[in-house]
Amino acid sequence: MADIALAPAAESPAQLRLARRLSAGARCAIPVALLLGIGFLAPLMAIFGYAFATPRSFDVFRSFTLENFATLFDPANTVWVSFVWSCGLALTTVAILAVVAYPIAYGLNVVFGRWSPFISVLFVFPLFVSENVRLYGWVLFYIKNGVLDGTLKWLGLSGGPEVLFTPGITLFGMVYTYLPFMLFPMTLGLALVPRDLIDAARDLGAGRLFIWREIELPLAMPGILIGMLLTFVLAIGATAEAKILGGQSIIVISHDIEIAFTYSQNWPLGSAMAVVVTFFIGGLTLFALSKLDLDRMLGRR
Amino acid sequence: MKARRTNALIWGWTLFVLVAIYLPIVCGALASFNKSRYFGFPIKVYSTEWWSKTIDSIEIGMIVKTSISVALLVTLFSVVIATFGALAFARYDWKGRRLYQKLILLPIFFPQPVLGLAMLLGFNAVGIQTSWMTAVFAHMVWIVPVVTLVIAIQVYGFDASLEEAAFDLGCSRVQVFREVTLPLLWPGIWSGMLFAFLLSWSNFPLSLYTTGADSTIPEWLYAKMVAGYTPMVPALGTMATLGAAALLLTGGLVGLLVRRRAAA
Amino acid sequence: MLQTLPAGAPGAETPAAPILQLVGVRKTFGGFTAVQGIDLDVREGEFLTIVGPSGSGKTTLLRMLAGMDTPSEGNITLHGELINDIPPNRRPTCLVFQSLALFPHKSVGENIAFPLKVKGVDAAARKARALELMRVVRLPEDYFDKNVMKCSGGERQRVALARAFAYDPEVLFFDEPLSALDYKLKKALEKELKDLHRETGKTFIYITHSLEEAMVMSDRIGVMRAGRLVQVGTPEEIYGAPVDRFVSEFVGEVNTIRVKREADGGWAGVDVPGRFTLAPPRDGTALDEAFVVVRPEFMRFLGPGDSADNRLEGIVYNEYSLGSRIQYQIRVDAGAAGEKVFLVELSRSRALPPGTDRAVTLGWDAADAFTLGS
Repeated sequence: MADIALAPAAESPAQLRLARRLSAGARCAIPVALLLGIGFLAPLMAIFGYAFATPRSFDVFRSFTLENFATLFDPANTVWVSFVWSCGLALTTVAILAVVAYPIAYGLNVVFGRWSPFISVLFVFPLFVSENVRLYGWVLFYIKNGVLDGTLKWLGLSGGPEVLFTPGITLFGMVYTYLPFMLFPMTLGLALVPRDLIDAARDLGAGRLFIWREIELPLAMPGILIGMLLTFVLAIGATAEAKILGGQSIIVISHDIEIAFTYSQNWPLGSAMAVVVTFFIGGLTLFALSKLDLDRMLGRR
Repeated sequence: MKARRTNALIWGWTLFVLVAIYLPIVCGALASFNKSRYFGFPIKVYSTEWWSKTIDSIEIGMIVKTSISVALLVTLFSVVIATFGALAFARYDWKGRRLYQKLILLPIFFPQPVLGLAMLLGFNAVGIQTSWMTAVFAHMVWIVPVVTLVIAIQVYGFDASLEEAAFDLGCSRVQVFREVTLPLLWPGIWSGMLFAFLLSWSNFPLSLYTTGADSTIPEWLYAKMVAGYTPMVPALGTMATLGAAALLLTGGLVGLLVRRRAAA
Repeated sequence: MLQTLPAGAPGAETPAAPILQLVGVRKTFGGFTAVQGIDLDVREGEFLTIVGPSGSGKTTLLRMLAGMDTPSEGNITLHGELINDIPPNRRPTCLVFQSLALFPHKSVGENIAFPLKVKGVDAAARKARALELMRVVRLPEDYFDKNVMKCSGGERQRVALARAFAYDPEVLFFDEPLSALDYKLKKALEKELKDLHRETGKTFIYITHSLEEAMVMSDRIGVMRAGRLVQVGTPEEIYGAPVDRFVSEFVGEVNTIRVKREADGGWAGVDVPGRFTLAPPRDGTALDEAFVVVRPEFMRFLGPGDSADNRLEGIVYNEYSLGSRIQYQIRVDAGAAGEKVFLVELSRSRALPPGTDRAVTLGWDAADAFTLGS
């Protein structure tokens, strides 16, 4: 394993010389860079190419037209509705998750003590269960004659509310699925607040709320922002919640893209949508990441 | 005291959220033991019939084999690439590091269904037939950055002067890596491997577009949820969950034992 | 004395009234007792330093005084008022942390003005007071907007001090704030801190493991060991009259001889052969076994005809230059026990001619040594 990486991609003498000239850090980055170049950038380029191809064709890189974008921004089209739904759901998800996760992140740092690692694992584990399985579990819980409805009837009550296949349950599903993505960056962020500073602020006369506003929140902000960004971006791209729990009562943007690629076989239109989403997300992510010092977040010094 | 009441509230809230997180998994497990084909609660007759049907099914056996093959290959490749990726991320100071740190996060911050479609397009554009092997590559694009971060956290805690000391004592570059760097990073690499396997094992959106005619467990489950529900769906789902839990538990225990032994 | 003096009134004989009083203060964590039964009166306006090796419980003691920990037993009173359970934000005391605990997201000025912001002082008045305090701690005015993380070690020290003063506490606590600095800066800041103590007239309680630091700054020193205050006194008392071997050794290098009482009432060495003349123990107890402790600077070399209460023959094994002073390591034949090493420290003007392996006679007077029971 060592040999592979210590002379990565050094086949010809010219390449060897190049590798020599690169610093150790750059050489270590080469395999990842190659992977992401081929696996991430190249497909995005393909999408970009398709976005300008003739609609309903597969003439990628051979035709150039803005027609797909024109269709997209045509008010007669419903794409913008999906986009608004996705953004709205994502924003609401972020807001709810911030409130849900903050006490837990605080607990993991300050309250739980030696239970903290175990509780963290309990929150990580659902990531290793396919979201289909977990979301379908909620269907079984909320469905007519399901766990909730059946239990209530068994208790002699009138049965559960009909919440399945509504926008509300889609939101619930998103909050449920993306909790770990808010919780862990937030926990990391709160871990960046030295306890000394809290003690010092208290010693200087500050009350709980004052300390939270002046010290804890600003210092934990990088982590909280990463969490918010991550959950927002993932929620924008979410489809499973709307499909499985929401029963297609609303169409989210990623679902629209999927439809264009599958049922309607209009790859150029789907690509144009994907390009818009990519620019939106990419811009947001790069902007937010440029404000953050990852070395400090993840533990150097 | 006030602080104690706050702590009790935090404990209470955390436990409540944990119950909510595991509730659907439990619901799935319950449904898999229902004798009747259609789910109704409370369950009238419990049976393990669907579990044995699931285990005996040849179709499911092939799907499980595909899932395991994909996850194993993803783990192997990802961990090698990500170990070096993590060294570049956290160990060395080099010119492009800041940019690299940010670019490597982009695939994580990218919606997976769109990423999967983009890769399908990419494969199509260069004329590669999609199969479970293309899915391995697709998974890696998303999993390598995650594993890089997991290992990077270990690298941050790593004292670079140890490598320099080994150099100074006459080790070659390769020896330094084998004798000092790898053993010290081992806990991070081990967690990285667990992450890689389990994330590939449970991945749905990337698999959906990149496996071609092959199918992984999450894909099969989704197809049957949409059309053709039988209790085999929750049964296989529960089995996959239990498998992940068993692997995590064994992995954690092995890690703990190795560390114990190292400390003794 | 029937008349009560106003607190802090200058009196030649009477000490000022205690501002902070500890009675039987104990702290246990689970089964471990970090601080066991401390009684202490802190006088208003004094500079008191608590010294002790790491793990002696001094930081725990300080955290209880500052309100970050609560005593398991005993009382802490401030101006006669019980403050055991008063949280730190409602105590008129302030701690300067070992880490300094400066807020990294705030500028120098914002850090200093923090306690004023807590009190709701308006921005203009905050700035004026912060600038005033910056002058007191000798920070240049244009540092007001400087990022506190970009300041040097010494500057951060000053920011932390100014922030503590901004709280206007009655008692200031210091938890080894100088420990991370280099020697020269440390020495300079020790003196500055003492000057600030004089200028402000506040009560300072300082914690350190370095007795050297304590000696320079303190009015009184308390020595802690294993959760107990072993001795409290002026630097001269601690240095000149340690209560036991621990304190005597903690204060500096010492030569120790174990002795036991002979039938004729004289003292004979246990680990070095010979008979010794001892000063009576200071606390007046009658002992059958004791330790004679002599500091290296109270030993001297005897020439022919010089007299001393005690003498030992030995060989110069090594010499160390301490700058203006020279220390000699002398090996003395201890019979069955082999050899015992003694240290002698002389000013350079009285040094021996250079060279080792020379035979010498050591001597000291009984009045320059301590006789300790333990």
